[in-house]
Amino acid sequence: MTLATLVEGKAMLETVIASAIAGIGVTFVFSVAIWGVARFADLSRNERPLAAGAAALVAALALLATVAVLVFGIVVMTSK
Amino acid sequence: MSSDVILVIVVGTALAFDFTNGFHDTANVVATSISTGAARPQVAIAMASLLNFAGAFISISVAATVANDVVNADVITPTIVFAGLIGAIAWNLITWSFGLPSSSSHALIGGVVGSAVAAVGFDAVIAEGLVGKVLVPAIVAPVLAFAVAGLSIGLIYRVVGKQRPGTVTRGFKYGQVVSGGLLALAHGTNDAQKTMGIITLALIANGSLAAGADPPFWVIASAAAAIALGTYSGGWRIIKTTGTRIIKMDAAQGFSSQGAGSAVILASTHFGFPLSTTHVINGGIMGAGAAKRFSAVRWGVAGNIVTAWVLTLPAAAAIGALAYGLTRIFGTGALGPVVVTLASLSLIVALFARRAERGAPVPASSG
Repeated sequence: MTLATLVEGKAMLETVIASAIAGIGVTFVFSVAIWGVARFADLSRNERPLAAGAAALVAALALLATVAVLVFGIVVMTSK
Repeated sequence: MSSDVILVIVVGTALAFDFTNGFHDTANVVATSISTGAARPQVAIAMASLLNFAGAFISISVAATVANDVVNADVITPTIVFAGLIGAIAWNLITWSFGLPSSSSHALIGGVVGSAVAAVGFDAVIAEGLVGKVLVPAIVAPVLAFAVAGLSIGLIYRVVGKQRPGTVTRGFKYGQVVSGGLLALAHGTNDAQKTMGIITLALIANGSLAAGADPPFWVIASAAAAIALGTYSGGWRIIKTTGTRIIKMDAAQGFSSQGAGSAVILASTHFGFPLSTTHVINGGIMGAGAAKRFSAVRWGVAGNIVTAWVLTLPAAAAIGALAYGLTRIFGTGALGPVVVTLASLSLIVALFARRAERGAPVPASSG
C-alpha cells in the first residue's frame, strides 16, 4: 500500500484550489472595496465629485462582489 | 444495563470534550479580531459562540469520516471510545495549562486510535482513513493556510498600500468582523462534527445505531450546544499566545489570516477532512506575518506550537491507551469508566486549584 493509494488526491487537489481561489479572491475584492472608499474620501476632500463618484461605485461593486463570493462559497462548500 | 451506563458516560464525556474543544479553540476564532482591536473581547467571543452553534448544523461529512473511516466500527466498544476521549481531554488540558494552541481534533483522533490499538491491536485502525483523511490533511492544511494568507496580504498591500492608513485600517477592522464570523462558522462545522462522529461511533458500537448511520438530531444539537458553551467560556491563556505572541499584527493581516483560515476549513469540511482548525489559523497568522517581514514572526513561539502539534497525536494516543488499560483493571463493566471518570475529575479540579493558587488566568481586559 503506497502513500498515493492512501491519499484522496482529487479531493485534496480540489481543496487546495478552492481554498486558494476563495481566500485570495475574497481578500482581493474586499481590498478593492477599501481602495474605493479611501479614494472616495480623498477625492471628495479635493472637491472632485465625478472621480469621487466613480471611486464610490467601484467600492460598492467590490463590496457586493465580496458578499456574493462569501455567500456562494458557503453554499457550495457546505452542500454535499 | 451495564452497556447503557457506559454509553451514557461516553456521551457525557464526549460532550465534556466538546466543551473543552470550544474552550480551547476560542483563541483560534477570536484572537486576531481582539488583538487588532476589531472587536471587543466579550462581543467577539459571544459572536463566535453563536456562530459555532450555527455552524454545527451545516454539514455532517466530517462526522461521517470520524465515525466510519478512522477506526473499524465493528471492533470498537463504548469503553474504547471512552478511553480515547479521556486521552483527548487530558492532552487538551495539559496544552491549555502551558498556553499552547495544540489541536483538539488530533487529540481526539489520537486518543481513540491509541485506546483502540491498546484494546484490539493495529487491526482496529483503518490506515487509508487515518493517513488519507487525517495525517496528510494535517500537514497540507496549515501549509496551505500559510501560503494563502501570505499571498493575500501581499495582494492587500499592493492594492491599498498607498492609501491613508486610517481609512484602510478601519476598513479591515470592519472586514475582520465578517472574516472572524466566517471563521467561527467554519470552526463550528468542522470541530463540532468530530464530537458528533465520536458519539455516533459509540452508538454504533453499542448497537443503538446501524453501521454507517448518520448522527441523530439530538447528537448534532447537543454537540452544537456544548462547543458553543465552551467557546463562550473562552480560553484567555491561548488567546494571548495566538493573538499577540506569534506576530504583532495589523488589521489587514488579521483579515487575511482569518480569510485564509475560513477558506481552508470550509473547503476541507466539504470533502469530509477532519482537520485541525488550530493548525490552520496559526498557519494563516504565520503566513500573514512572514509575507510582510520574515523576522516579524516570533519563530521561537511558532516552534513551541509546532512541537505541540507534532506531539499531539502520539501523546493523546499514549494517554488513551493508558486510560483503556486503567479502565480494564476493573473489568469490562461500567465500574472502570466510572472510576476513571472520577479520577479524571479529581485531577482536573486539582489542576485548576493549583493554577488558582499560582494566579488567575490572563484576564479579559489584557487580551
